[in-house]
Amino acid sequence: MSSLASRAKDLRSSPNKWVAPAVILLGLLYPFLEEPLSTLPLIGDFMPSTGTVVVMIAFTMMAVGLNIVVGYCGLLDLGYVAFYAVGAYTAGWLASQHFEQVTFHFGSSVDNDQVGIHVTMWIVLIAAGLLTMLAGIVIGLPTLRLRGDYLAIVTLGFGEIIPQVVRNGDSFGGFNLTNGTFGIAPIDSVGFPVLSSIAFFPENFQTSDNRERWYYLIAFLLLLFTIFCSVRLRDSRLGRAWIAIREDETAAAAMGVPLMKTKTWAYALGAFFGGVAGAYYASFKSGAFPADFYFNISVFLLCMVILGGMGSIWGVTVGGMILAYLNFSGLSTIGSKIQDAGLNFDPTKYQFGIYGIIIVLMMLFRPTGLIPERRHKVEFEEGVHDTPFYDVQTEGSLTDRDRGND
Amino acid sequence: MAVDNLVEVTKLRKEFGGLVATDDVDFVIPRGSIVALIGPNGAGKTTFFNQLTGVYSPTSGSILFDGTEVVHLPPHAITALGVGRTFQNIRLFAQMSAVENVLVGMHCRLQGGIIGSILRTRKVKREEEEARDRARELLTYSGLPRRHDDRAGNLPYGDQRRLEVARALATEPKLLLLDEPTAGMNPQETAEFTAFVRRVRDDKGLTVLLIEHDMKVVMGVSERITVLEYGAKIAEGSPSEIQSDERVIEAYLGRGAAA
Amino acid sequence: MSDTRARVLRTLRNPKLVNGIGLGLVALVGVWLVVNFVKGPQEFVNVALDGLTRGSIYGVVALGYTLVYGILQLINFAHGDVFSLSGLVASTMLLSVLGLTGSSSNLAVIGGIVITLAITIPLFAVVNATIERVAYRPLRHAPRLTPLITAVGMSFIVSNISLALYGVDFESGSELIPQGAAFSIGEINVTWKLVFALAIITPALVALSWFVGYTRQGKAMRAVSQDTEASAMMGINVNRTISVTFFIAGSLAAVAGLVFLLEYNLRYDTGFELGLIAFTAAVLGGIGNLAGAVLGALLIGFVQSFNEGLTWFAPGGDWTRSIVFGILIAVLVFRPQGLLGEQTPEGA
Repeated sequence: MSSLASRAKDLRSSPNKWVAPAVILLGLLYPFLEEPLSTLPLIGDFMPSTGTVVVMIAFTMMAVGLNIVVGYCGLLDLGYVAFYAVGAYTAGWLASQHFEQVTFHFGSSVDNDQVGIHVTMWIVLIAAGLLTMLAGIVIGLPTLRLRGDYLAIVTLGFGEIIPQVVRNGDSFGGFNLTNGTFGIAPIDSVGFPVLSSIAFFPENFQTSDNRERWYYLIAFLLLLFTIFCSVRLRDSRLGRAWIAIREDETAAAAMGVPLMKTKTWAYALGAFFGGVAGAYYASFKSGAFPADFYFNISVFLLCMVILGGMGSIWGVTVGGMILAYLNFSGLSTIGSKIQDAGLNFDPTKYQFGIYGIIIVLMMLFRPTGLIPERRHKVEFEEGVHDTPFYDVQTEGSLTDRDRGND
Repeated sequence: MAVDNLVEVTKLRKEFGGLVATDDVDFVIPRGSIVALIGPNGAGKTTFFNQLTGVYSPTSGSILFDGTEVVHLPPHAITALGVGRTFQNIRLFAQMSAVENVLVGMHCRLQGGIIGSILRTRKVKREEEEARDRARELLTYSGLPRRHDDRAGNLPYGDQRRLEVARALATEPKLLLLDEPTAGMNPQETAEFTAFVRRVRDDKGLTVLLIEHDMKVVMGVSERITVLEYGAKIAEGSPSEIQSDERVIEAYLGRGAAA
Repeated sequence: MSDTRARVLRTLRNPKLVNGIGLGLVALVGVWLVVNFVKGPQEFVNVALDGLTRGSIYGVVALGYTLVYGILQLINFAHGDVFSLSGLVASTMLLSVLGLTGSSSNLAVIGGIVITLAITIPLFAVVNATIERVAYRPLRHAPRLTPLITAVGMSFIVSNISLALYGVDFESGSELIPQGAAFSIGEINVTWKLVFALAIITPALVALSWFVGYTRQGKAMRAVSQDTEASAMMGINVNRTISVTFFIAGSLAAVAGLVFLLEYNLRYDTGFELGLIAFTAAVLGGIGNLAGAVLGALLIGFVQSFNEGLTWFAPGGDWTRSIVFGILIAVLVFRPQGLLGEQTPEGA
């Protein structure tokens, strides 16, 4: 079965089987549609540029990764920005002139006389994913045994520590790891060093005429890949274990699900996609800077997951694209329209208030999100058997609920 | 190397601060038997279960399961060794279907890994299909011939209890722990369930330990009965021995009733 | 493989080993402190007094977190941002409305402080209780993480309100307090800042202990934090008790906001970091335990001041956040009940 058709088959929560393929097609064509679309009256000005959509996709990819942690497994991760940072800096280490002490080229399309480590970005993406996954496992070891709210705070803590390490990392005992506040730039571009013998494929996106379009295409494919993996994981043995943990950890353990190992996998896989997205985005921006990483981003990503629907892949994708659009393009366009109309009001200043309102409203009125995951809807309506381990007092009381006897 | 006793509990003690919930209990479960654990409310029966399944860590003492010391093992490891259980207050994964609940029970018996799941290799695909078939068989065997894809939370109460048993059986246990399995059942369902327990033990070569309050079930199905009171074992023996044991009568009905 | 891991984990969790490592770390820190003291005793004490100033402010905020957590098992993320907003509003009161400046007399400043508190305390008590009523109460029976996520959202809303009203500028009331030392012992300076801080905070803490320990509402609060269902069955109005708790937490935030404004400077996002530091303090002392919150806050205050003020091998201000979070993580992993908390079976 071709993967496109099987993906179509996977769309149980989609109302119409042809929506997804149509969206994918439109998505692939967007760079070519951008210009004509932007000439449309009224909505034309709101069309984001191709470059902006690349950024939107990178963040949506991170949201899909976060969805594995928060949506599937029910672990509130408030420090996902740390994974973004590790991914970005991996790209900085493996594909830039930062480590000027060595000169090592591997499949890269930059000039051979450039110092530093320059591995082809395709391998760097994988390396970033793996390294971030490792970071996730290391962070997870002490953290994942904690109860939900403590886990949230501790992940927040790591989300703060890692950027601080990055900011101060220009001299670890004399060694310049992260170049401190200056960050690492420029970072190599993605390219097709091998395929470039065919005229169509550029050796290096940077030097091609269609830099943004190529970046867009690969970003789009990366996002599809992330979604694909996410769907397959959801329906796998591991995915069932995650959802069992989300619903009732104690019962899951009693059924043979190893809690720490399973939670760590959720965290690690979520981290993997965050790292890949971070590395790709760093390459696109051609730089990794400590100022890029701050707590609000973690909440921004969480807001995407909540808006879209925790656990719902398509929901998170849609929610992610909407919020990312607002953040990187929509709000400022709205802002300039408002200012053209004479009002001195800048909505971009209120970004995070808006995200906060979205979060609160969603939690109060539609906690299952815009496109609810099939299963999640009822969990919120009925509550969850969430008694933590060893809790003698609540063992009896929380679970006594009136079930209508048939 | 078959041991005669599937479970050997020696001087098991559990203290919560000043409260002694399990008071130096010695306990054996012979392989293949059906044993009942009874006692008045607060006697510490569920606490005992929870130590057997690793939810609680005993303060001291030892629990040998099939020759392996299981004290301090995490719950999932004990399940993997062959202990399956149901819960006093039903703890199904309400949002998952009945089949999916049973599939979770099979977690430690399946191999499907991450790469295999993402790529849907032939091996994983086959394992999943076989698992689903086995799950449906287990459901039917446990008295749920239909509604396999219904949301577990939507099932009627009696079916939910049967689903819990099916899920516990999916872990391929050697020892099946049933915590007040007939609570909320009417007499006919109770009788059916009692027969089912015996059938399960015979068909699958299991050993069964149940906590029960319904004396008909206890006397009807168990071969041995152990009685707890205030965390300590006060009597042990066959149903007829227990029925006439003075201390047991006193524990349930108070001093003066034994006379 | 999992057998070895189980053995490793069991060793790591062995209380004697954990306590041993903990004592070892404490001993190392103790040595570090002693060396620094020896190198400059008077500077050391001054730094310590600075720590006391910070710690007392953290204590007030930490109490807000621990009171709410004790009664709802909820980390009220918005608490730090309420603190910021209250400080900013206090600055408006003191500097704009009352027009106090650096040259105003001490008496006028004190009067201004009293008037400001008379306004900000009830105001933010109500604001805090409203947040609970609107955002948290409807979710009392939702899955446990839902109100937590909502609290994060609320935090962003409040901090954005601060941003909208006050922009990115820092406000400060430190010019209102006399500079320098109130009195000195040798080169040890007991600054006016410390005096003002303690003068405002101590009565607040006394009032709080009296309230919690000796009034009916206080007893109700303690009961509800121990066992909500039983309290309800005993006729305690749980909703009202929770509202009262939020009133108190909001008042504490207002007090802390004012003091912080007078000591340092603040802006819309100050509460985020300070909130996390204060929460760490509450956890360090034992979440849910009031004395623990104060103790933990003093310790963290000292940690921060020593880190930034001492000279021998001090990591410096760049690393404060990491150190504080490191402490948080260590406490939650190795001793989740904190210093003064009780070890319950679930460990926290």
